Amino acid sequence: MKKLIGRILVGVVILASSACTKTDNYDGPNASFQGNIISAQGGNLLTSGNSTQIRLQQIGWTAPQTIPSKFDGTFEDTKLFKGGYKVVPTGGAFWPVTDTVVVNIDQGTKRDFTVTPYVVIKNFTSSLTGTTLTLKFDITAPVAAGLPTIKDVQPYVNTTKLVGTGASIRDFSDVNVITINKQFTDMSATEKSITLTIPNLIPGRTFFVRAGVRLSDSFNSSNFSEIVQVDIPK
Amino acid sequence: MKSIHKLIITIAIGVGASVTSCQKLNIPPTNIVTPEVIYSSEAGVKSFLATIYQNLPIEDFKYRPDGNGDPVGFKHGANDWENFYTSASAIGEEVGPFGGMDIGGGFGYWPYGDIRNVNTLIAELPKHVASLTQPTVNALLGEAHFLRAYYYLALAKRYGGVPIITVPQDPAAPLSTLQVHRDKEEATWDFIGTELDLGYQMMPESSDAGRANKYVAAALKSRAMLYAACVAKYGSVNFVDGTARSQGLVGIPASKATAYFQAAYDAAKLLDGHYSLYNANSDKVQNYVDLFLKAGSPENIFIKQYSIANRTAHSWDATMSPRYMTANALSRAYPTLDLVQLWGNLPVTNDDGTPKRFNNRAELMQGLEPRLLATVYFPGTTLRGLTFDMQRGIYPSFSGTAAAEVAKQPNSRSYILAGDTKTLYQGKQVIGFTGPWTGGDELTRTGFYVRKYVDYNKPQASVDLNRSEQSWIDLRYGEILLNRAEAAMELGNPSDALSSINQLRTRAGATLYGSIDLDKVRKERRMELAFENQYYWDLKRWRIADVVLDRAHFKGLMPYYVFNENKYIFIAEPELFNREYTFQKQFYYEGIPGGEIGKNPNLLPNNPNY
Repeated sequence: MKKLIGRILVGVVILASSACTKTDNYDGPNASFQGNIISAQGGNLLTSGNSTQIRLQQIGWTAPQTIPSKFDGTFEDTKLFKGGYKVVPTGGAFWPVTDTVVVNIDQGTKRDFTVTPYVVIKNFTSSLTGTTLTLKFDITAPVAAGLPTIKDVQPYVNTTKLVGTGASIRDFSDVNVITINKQFTDMSATEKSITLTIPNLIPGRTFFVRAGVRLSDSFNSSNFSEIVQVDIPK
Repeated sequence: MKSIHKLIITIAIGVGASVTSCQKLNIPPTNIVTPEVIYSSEAGVKSFLATIYQNLPIEDFKYRPDGNGDPVGFKHGANDWENFYTSASAIGEEVGPFGGMDIGGGFGYWPYGDIRNVNTLIAELPKHVASLTQPTVNALLGEAHFLRAYYYLALAKRYGGVPIITVPQDPAAPLSTLQVHRDKEEATWDFIGTELDLGYQMMPESSDAGRANKYVAAALKSRAMLYAACVAKYGSVNFVDGTARSQGLVGIPASKATAYFQAAYDAAKLLDGHYSLYNANSDKVQNYVDLFLKAGSPENIFIKQYSIANRTAHSWDATMSPRYMTANALSRAYPTLDLVQLWGNLPVTNDDGTPKRFNNRAELMQGLEPRLLATVYFPGTTLRGLTFDMQRGIYPSFSGTAAAEVAKQPNSRSYILAGDTKTLYQGKQVIGFTGPWTGGDELTRTGFYVRKYVDYNKPQASVDLNRSEQSWIDLRYGEILLNRAEAAMELGNPSDALSSINQLRTRAGATLYGSIDLDKVRKERRMELAFENQYYWDLKRWRIADVVLDRAHFKGLMPYYVFNENKYIFIAEPELFNREYTFQKQFYYEGIPGGEIGKNPNLLPNNPNY
């Protein structure tokens, strides 16, 4: 019996020691790429979910991949394969960037991209009266000629700091939309000064709020204001 | 001595083996059907055609626009029962199984294997005139050109320009000739048009049900050319920019629109006098219901058949009606109030905004257009001896306007709801046997059910999965009239459009139009072709999908019983799935499948934004 157990143990040891000798000789995706998407009008381009992306295509490969921009206009991917990539920012409310740049991505590669936003929200203020929040701002366009049609303007309200398209409470956000459907150049000065109201916010709750201007470009994308925190008193 | 013996034996075996083995093994393989077998008789060619027809991308009952199944999307197996995954339910004709506009990316349809079959047929047929006779070869060639156009049409409307391959490629050819570049979108549509012209010229006037004849080719041409015309006209206004567009791989110059509209109009006109609208029953509702069920209808141009015996039956009856009226199964896709209101607002609200009181639910149907009643099951109609008793809940009493009631938070509404059909409120059933209800997949969430194509004659006990055999009408004369009217309208010929539309409206039991415009033509199309898997492509070719489906929410019509008045009211409310639908602009074209680009990098550039 002891002999048998001994033999089994020997067998196990042999199997165990011989099973794991080969190692994967390919490096894992250990390169990283990060940076900022900078607005030509100053600061980072403020973005939202499902819009601005950094599009990369490894040279010699056919399928592109994307790194979504974070809401503050930064991006980061730490699981990339080392190599040369063609890179271009896309998907957001900025004048299309047609020239891809070639970046050699390795560990800790950094690169910033500057884009010209379609629309910039200026003089953004919020004021609370009871449970009604009023947002006021002016919209300007760095380049007005040829700007895609302005579709609409709306607030985005959420209970977390992640607030924007696809991350907002519909009853406070989408329903308070103001439809415009006009060329920017056809809008009067008063039309470019916008007031959004969000009534019936819930007392005692904290909300995060921003405004967005949506354009009918290839992505129906929006330019956003910064995010403000609003505490509704009980 | 012994070793010499051994040597002799070895040599003997060696010589013996080499002498007998020198016969060449040259007998025809018994497990492969050779061209001689197929092309020696018409029956042989027919059996080859059967495969090509079976794989034809017909968007029928079993079509899965999200690409589920095997073969992907265009299923034709024995158990493709989930027939409620309709494209209609991704775009607001219905709401249901899809969580939103989930079908825009397509499913990588890439039928070059099937196209190769057709190419082989076209290459082989002329070699077999002796056994098949010239007229037969010509007719079959015409059919093959039609079939090839059908496959390319399914590609062109998804991807724009694709590689046009017209000969069976030799696998041994150099890679560079096998990796074919994409053709321009315009060239692809022109190729489809030419193929269908050949089909029209070469095929006979009539054919077996389920097979093409010359008019089927003309009918398909009107559909195809209308699509191309709209790509030219509307796609040059609303588009996503990119390399593929600047190279013409997607998009057609706007100046080409008129020629395509003219081609669509001319093709539709060829059917004049050869087909007609189904008008066998003087009861307009019953007539419109029967149009989709009666074999041999003069309206049917091209159909796809199903059979329990051949294990190809579908499940439309079992999956479009509530479990209450079937033997088994689930339903999950329900018509929206938005669709129903194409026919005009239903008279459910008084002038002061309060809900109108009805003595019974069926009263709502009074005065509605027969075609609407034949398209959608309203509360109060009957199927298999059972009544559609839709009731969302009970109001002990109701005051105020419908709008104010809908604006309330659900928990502050005074209605009584129930988790099942057994629950009673003071002796009254709270929800109907047919819903609406949100607890599971068998009861409506909009207050309506689909009626089109539902076989009302089937006894309830046999309404089970994979037990429906009614044909899918892929091309019917009704659509041809709509194609013709739309093309005529776009060409500035409103009187022709008006007469086509009024033919349809006469049959529908609608009031006739005195004048016509493009909006009316398009609306008529939506009403006439509801649930027929056309509206998705209409939205795309009109380039309005990103506007119509822009965070869109759809409505249902909820019937309630008002207890203290003993009356029924109907309230328009958000449908009970509460889904949101958004069509992204890049979806006007699908992306070329990644796997295909891997095999053939010449398919790049991919379509814009992919």
